Amino acid sequence: MSDESLAGTAADIRARRISPVEAVERCLARIHKWDGRIRAFIRLDAEGALEAARSLEADASAGRWRGPLHGVPLGFKDLCRLRGLPTSCGTRTPDYFAGSGECTAARRLLDAGGISLGKLNMTELAMGAYGDNAHHGDVDNPWLAGHAAGGSSSGSGAGVAAGFFAGAVGSDTGGSIRLPAGCCGVVGLKPTYGRISRAGAMVLSWSMDHLGPLAWTARDAALMLNVMAGSDPADATTSRRAVPDYTAGLDGGIKGVRIGVPENYFFDGVDEEIAAGVRRAARELEGLGARVAQIRLPDPTVMMDVSMLITRAEASTVHARVFRERPQDLQPMVRIRLQMGTGISAYDYLQALRLRAKLTRAFVREVFAEVDVLLTPVIPEPQPALSDLKSATAEVFNTRAGRFSRLTRPFNGLGLPAISVPCGFTAAGLPLGFQAVGRPFDESLLLKLAHTYQEAAGWHRRRSSLD
Amino acid sequence: MQPKEQQVAQASMADVIERLAGELTLAEEPSRFIAALEGEEAEPGNE
Repeated sequence: MSDESLAGTAADIRARRISPVEAVERCLARIHKWDGRIRAFIRLDAEGALEAARSLEADASAGRWRGPLHGVPLGFKDLCRLRGLPTSCGTRTPDYFAGSGECTAARRLLDAGGISLGKLNMTELAMGAYGDNAHHGDVDNPWLAGHAAGGSSSGSGAGVAAGFFAGAVGSDTGGSIRLPAGCCGVVGLKPTYGRISRAGAMVLSWSMDHLGPLAWTARDAALMLNVMAGSDPADATTSRRAVPDYTAGLDGGIKGVRIGVPENYFFDGVDEEIAAGVRRAARELEGLGARVAQIRLPDPTVMMDVSMLITRAEASTVHARVFRERPQDLQPMVRIRLQMGTGISAYDYLQALRLRAKLTRAFVREVFAEVDVLLTPVIPEPQPALSDLKSATAEVFNTRAGRFSRLTRPFNGLGLPAISVPCGFTAAGLPLGFQAVGRPFDESLLLKLAHTYQEAAGWHRRRSSLD
Repeated sequence: MQPKEQQVAQASMADVIERLAGELTLAEEPSRFIAALEGEEAEPGNE
């Protein structure tokens, strides 16, 4: 066997070193052993996965290959609608997001040969930065028990880190792919707004939502993006740009790539160990041929306000019914957030949308004239203990959660591609990560930078100590 | 009732947006966000 990465698993299956059934059984064994602690799944579909694996095994025996992910086990955040399984969206309502249209991105992965192991835990309605969920259990960090896995795609991040599946789909409205990736020591990519269809995935904020992959390596994320990206008639916001082969340039190196390390906002008040880890990664990237310089950015606090206001207004609108008819079903912190959005005027909402356009145009023009990539931390403080979070009042909790996503949320407002990449560990044994941000639709460069770094640094070869 | 601290934060957010919105040209509109990402980034005039 090569390794347990998505690329390695796909290669092993293609070379007939393992069968899709063996790949699924290997995952199920780990899930049965460890998911009582991790709580990555809301609904494990072991039978469905084995049935799909047997079908794919028969195809492989007959020389029929469905696609680049033939036989690869995957997990899906439980806001992706998939035929035959309910979609709770992290609420206590088993099929909160009922309907017939499947999640386009998930369907594309399955049509490419991927196997669904089931639906993954998440914070309620994708609101929340830590991965706690009163209905389905708090997702635990595979690297250090009792610590936050990050949210809202908490099961996606923790499940990849725990080796439950080779890759997962998450969604990101303010950091919800990059935060769990950063907390759990895996790669998480929020692509450019419009690169991946959101059709068939629960809406939190149609202006800010993105779907994307979480996986062990940048190569794995590139393989998933190859399949997930592209226009979709079911989502009018998808771009019609051609989808490149994101794996094609991965080994091209980063010589001459201009990396900007922000001198304002992104390191302000950030934990010293985290900041030092990102600056160390910057030096390592420089050693690999990149040109690293400090850069002063247009004030990100403005885009932070704009993004937050738009998200709250849209979330309150989309989820008005549950808030009005069954508020007791929602966790207090979710209720508070939905209530905040109801007080936003149409005037402020529309002005925020107009400002977003201007700020994005200026940011792209000014920043990317100087650099090709921005490098920042992902999270401002170490993954908190779950017990600390549980003891906070809803108000304190929400304020703290808002701060936790302050390094990721501006790039939802800007719509820019951003990737979270592991870059070491704290003294306590929790993962460190950096965020790299690129020009619109330049996911290829981010993946190449991440791949080059991973191959040199090798952090992805270390696995959590579950065993 | 919304928690007071968050009410204040939201009011401050709206103040920032109100102040900056005063600098927007008449032609600025939300769809120009997509244009910015797609590279159709001409500054809107006041026509």
